[in-house]
Amino acid sequence: MSFFDSLRQKAPFLDKLADSFAPTLTRDQKFRLKYKLPASENILEDTNAEVSFATSNGDGNKHSDMVSNKGRKTAYVYSGRLFLTPHFLVFRDAFDHSSCILILNISTIKRVERSPSESYEFALLVTLYTGAKVLIQFIGIRYRSEQFCSQLKSNLKENIPNAKNLPAFLETSYSEFLIAKNILGKKDIAVPRAGLGQHFKYPGNHTMAKEKAKLRLWFDYFKENGRNLAVVQTHMFRKLVRIGIPNRMRGEIWELCSGAMYMRYANAGEYEKILNDNTGKTSQAIDEIEKDLKRSLPEYSAYQTEEGIQRLRNVLTAYSWKNPDVGYCQAMNIVVAGFLIFMSEEQAFWCLCNLCDIYVPGYYSKTMYGTLLDQKVFESFVEDRMPVLWEYIVQHDIQLSVVSLPWFLSLFFTSMPLEYAVRIMDIFFMNGSITLFQVALAVLKINADDILQADDDGMFIAIIKHYFQTLGQSAHPDSSDIKYRQITRFQELLVTAFKEFSVITEEMAMQVRHKYEKGIFQNIETFMKRTQLRHMPRTFNLSSENLSNIYDMFYQSIETYKISMGTGSSNMGFEVFIQFLSKFCDSCRPCGKDSDPAFRKQKRNFLQRLFDNWDSAHIGELTLNDVVTGLDKLLTVDLLQAINYFFSLYDADDDGELHREEVLQLSEGLLLLTEPWKSGRYVDLLTKKHIEDDIAESIIKESGEEIITMNQIELPTGVTIDEEKYKAEQAERYLKAASNFLQRSFEYAKAIDLAEEINLIDLSDDEDEDEEKHTAKLKRMESIKANAALDPTHPKVIDLPTFRMIILADETYELFFSNTLRSSIHVDERININNKNKVFRSMFDGILADGKRVAEQVRRRVDSVATRNSITSAESTPTAAAGSATTKEEKYDDLDDFTSDHQSEHEELLQNSWFEIDDANENNANTMQERPFEPLSKNSTDKNSNLIEFEA
Amino acid sequence: MNTSVTSIKLVLLGEAAVGKSSIVLRFVSNDFAENKEPTIGAAFLTQRVTINEHTVKFEIWDTAGQERFASLAPMYYRNAQAALVVYDVTKPQSFIKARHWVKELHEQASKDIIIALVGNKIDVLQDGGERKVAKEEGEKLAEEKGLLFFETSAKTGENVNNVFLGIGEKIPLKKAEEQNNANEGESNNQRVDLNAANNGTSANSACSC
Repeated sequence: MSFFDSLRQKAPFLDKLADSFAPTLTRDQKFRLKYKLPASENILEDTNAEVSFATSNGDGNKHSDMVSNKGRKTAYVYSGRLFLTPHFLVFRDAFDHSSCILILNISTIKRVERSPSESYEFALLVTLYTGAKVLIQFIGIRYRSEQFCSQLKSNLKENIPNAKNLPAFLETSYSEFLIAKNILGKKDIAVPRAGLGQHFKYPGNHTMAKEKAKLRLWFDYFKENGRNLAVVQTHMFRKLVRIGIPNRMRGEIWELCSGAMYMRYANAGEYEKILNDNTGKTSQAIDEIEKDLKRSLPEYSAYQTEEGIQRLRNVLTAYSWKNPDVGYCQAMNIVVAGFLIFMSEEQAFWCLCNLCDIYVPGYYSKTMYGTLLDQKVFESFVEDRMPVLWEYIVQHDIQLSVVSLPWFLSLFFTSMPLEYAVRIMDIFFMNGSITLFQVALAVLKINADDILQADDDGMFIAIIKHYFQTLGQSAHPDSSDIKYRQITRFQELLVTAFKEFSVITEEMAMQVRHKYEKGIFQNIETFMKRTQLRHMPRTFNLSSENLSNIYDMFYQSIETYKISMGTGSSNMGFEVFIQFLSKFCDSCRPCGKDSDPAFRKQKRNFLQRLFDNWDSAHIGELTLNDVVTGLDKLLTVDLLQAINYFFSLYDADDDGELHREEVLQLSEGLLLLTEPWKSGRYVDLLTKKHIEDDIAESIIKESGEEIITMNQIELPTGVTIDEEKYKAEQAERYLKAASNFLQRSFEYAKAIDLAEEINLIDLSDDEDEDEEKHTAKLKRMESIKANAALDPTHPKVIDLPTFRMIILADETYELFFSNTLRSSIHVDERININNKNKVFRSMFDGILADGKRVAEQVRRRVDSVATRNSITSAESTPTAAAGSATTKEEKYDDLDDFTSDHQSEHEELLQNSWFEIDDANENNANTMQERPFEPLSKNSTDKNSNLIEFEA
Repeated sequence: MNTSVTSIKLVLLGEAAVGKSSIVLRFVSNDFAENKEPTIGAAFLTQRVTINEHTVKFEIWDTAGQERFASLAPMYYRNAQAALVVYDVTKPQSFIKARHWVKELHEQASKDIIIALVGNKIDVLQDGGERKVAKEEGEKLAEEKGLLFFETSAKTGENVNNVFLGIGEKIPLKKAEEQNNANEGESNNQRVDLNAANNGTSANSACSC
């Protein structure tokens, strides 16, 4: 207890860590980070309290002394704040937040009792597994204190299963072993399984005496302040760490400071389980690990033996399974090799977990963004703190990172002799990653004079290399003062790092990181994109600009994948695939019909077919290369290839023949793909041509012969065109194409029973049929199809040439494969993800937005019409491309009227307006692009919703 | 003796554990280490050789091979005049990676960079190991892309020096003469070291000529 009195020495430079993180962290996150608690530990309760401690070791009467004889002042009382999380009681003093930090896993609590107290209203006496007692005197209103206690009570109850793991856990603790051996006098107790150093010696030339003296200090500390899962950290604790942890204790203290111990306790058995579950499995990470096993601290004797190699292999592979986002990164092998000298496999595993998650996030990730970022931060610190040196480095084009990057990435393990590197690690685990910056700055500072003489990278590297190799030598060999002479370069380094550069704080690092983060991420993304595009499969129909757009849309769709951080899978699942296609394929955009379950099912069926076809590795996921290869096939400019590809989508067994069932599915797919044109959301070239013809005709009709002599034809100032008419015509054309297709398919297959064919196609012409009847009919169809398929006498296939012939026989479908489909897949446009209107952007709008082009087209029509008119009669009416039977004369009345007045008479028409032309269009091309396009009126959609019902 | 020295910035690229660092170690120190620690980030070494009575100083940037370090590579091949793209003749995957590196260099590095394709570890074949990348494949790639081609063993030293000599011969030495007259203080892509000192590690920056 006198201990606490003696420990109030100042060590301000070690208290810089913590409570100074980026403001984006929540209170719980900050709390967990500060005390290195696992992710499950949220603050449930907190209160002001006074805490005092009594040890059990030695004479056992402390309890009554402390509680009842408070006048004797046997215990030092700390006042501060007490926190309760699901598995921990944490107390920190109010004085400097570091004089007394108690971190207590509640599994170590044996008993909690209310303590009679004269001066305080409410006090708890907590007895630990060691017999040590903690007296907690609550400050504050009674009600809150009661609440705290009842929460503690319920936590303790829930924790009973965990508490059972305690004895086994304590057997792995060296501190428990020390106590048991020296206090309880157990001489035969087994040394806990620890690091390779146990058998292969620890690095460096430590005199036994020094090691023993240090162990003794820790022994005293543990006796007074507790250990492992229930420890009070005082300034003395940190001082003991700073003077260098004795080798035998090192593993446990690293584990404790890093919070890995809490992870190991909370996840008992998980390490073994990961190894067992993945025995015999291979992965890229495993291959990479194997390459490096023999290349990890090869100078340490254990790593020339199978035992050492096997431990290293186990920890690295276990981690690669635990965190596949990181997998394995070179340098981890060296770091873990360092850990394993002092730690058991399980300890090292959890230490590695916390290293990657808490200490240096992003260092070992697939993109190494953390490493790149911290190099930038380091450079910024050098520039800020040592401007002369920085200027010299820049002037001489010296790559600072060639020396500094390995420092950070391998935590100095590859740079310094092992015995010194582990000393840096002692402080690193206690103080956090800022330690790396402080040491790195100190190295440059100490060698600044020499570096300022260096001409190039080679000399710079040689200076640093030489420095690290002579860390054990005197820092002042020429001093007359022997004490001064005894100071080693390493000691000098520690002092420079942790005194002079204590001004470099975690908070500063966070701020600088924040500053450069965006730029680094941007660079990584650019680099990744460039690399991936370079290694794209060869494409025939996609330009490099197309590929770039596809790349962007692909990764924008996979929201869980963070390119710059390298986390998440870069593959695309089916649901994301649907989203992805809906961004730029007109046929896959969300539409009104999506609310129809049957339609939605068809859509999914088709997309699933496409997805499976593209999934080259048959893993149920698409890579970017799969998507590119697939789109390349889909976008072929060759008509026959396009037809072939569509055929092959349905020819699952690849026998060049489609069976009856497959033909039906194919026709469903065709229906689905052509839906946007059938429902009038887009126009195809035939309709476009038709419209242009009509415009031309009407202009002729309006202007008569005069126009022919004009060189320049201006578009009329206002045109309204009967959108419904064209929609209806186009819809009819598509329906007809579809029904012709089915008919011809069965006809040319010469396979179909005529009665059945009629049945299939002529099931009903009832337009207002309800859903139920429809389903019943579908079922009936299913059974008919099934029967037909079962009938062995039934010739049932169409082959590719037949299929081609059928497609080519229909103008609409031929156009669909030669142009319509291809031009409806917009890989050439950059997709603005925020533009909600984009899905309805009509190709039709596009035509009109480009007023000049329209004018030219119209002029061409006019010319041709005029020529025709001059040959034949002026009254001749043009024939519609789709051969619609609607009376054209009536419609032309609309077309003829170019005055804007007329528009007001057609309000309804305007609202639905398929298109309108006025002068503004030329200037507002972009606005036009984004104008949502209203779907066809409900009536006609319903009417045409199912082709099967349509009678040819 | 001509005191002018041509500096050649040379970068080594290739998959992990194909022997990049070992090739450098053999060239620079005529040494070999069986289990060499992987290169973290990059390493830098220099070596001087005399080619056609002319001294050439190689400034060698040896890079980390693991895929995820690839984003660091541009930092090191920036301004490089020569590159060794190394693969392991017993590992087909490393040859694919070599192709990628060649492609990247042609797109991103200096336009007139001289690239040598190096199939390493041919000693393994003499010890009964199986060759997985035919010599012809390497030759073919080299011919297609206009690369120098060598097969080497860093372990036995076979052919290693020829790689560097081959590169040295291809670098136009004429430039060096021009640079000889250039002011040394100027920051230049192709650094010229006027010191006749035998290695680049001395802290001597005075010009004595």
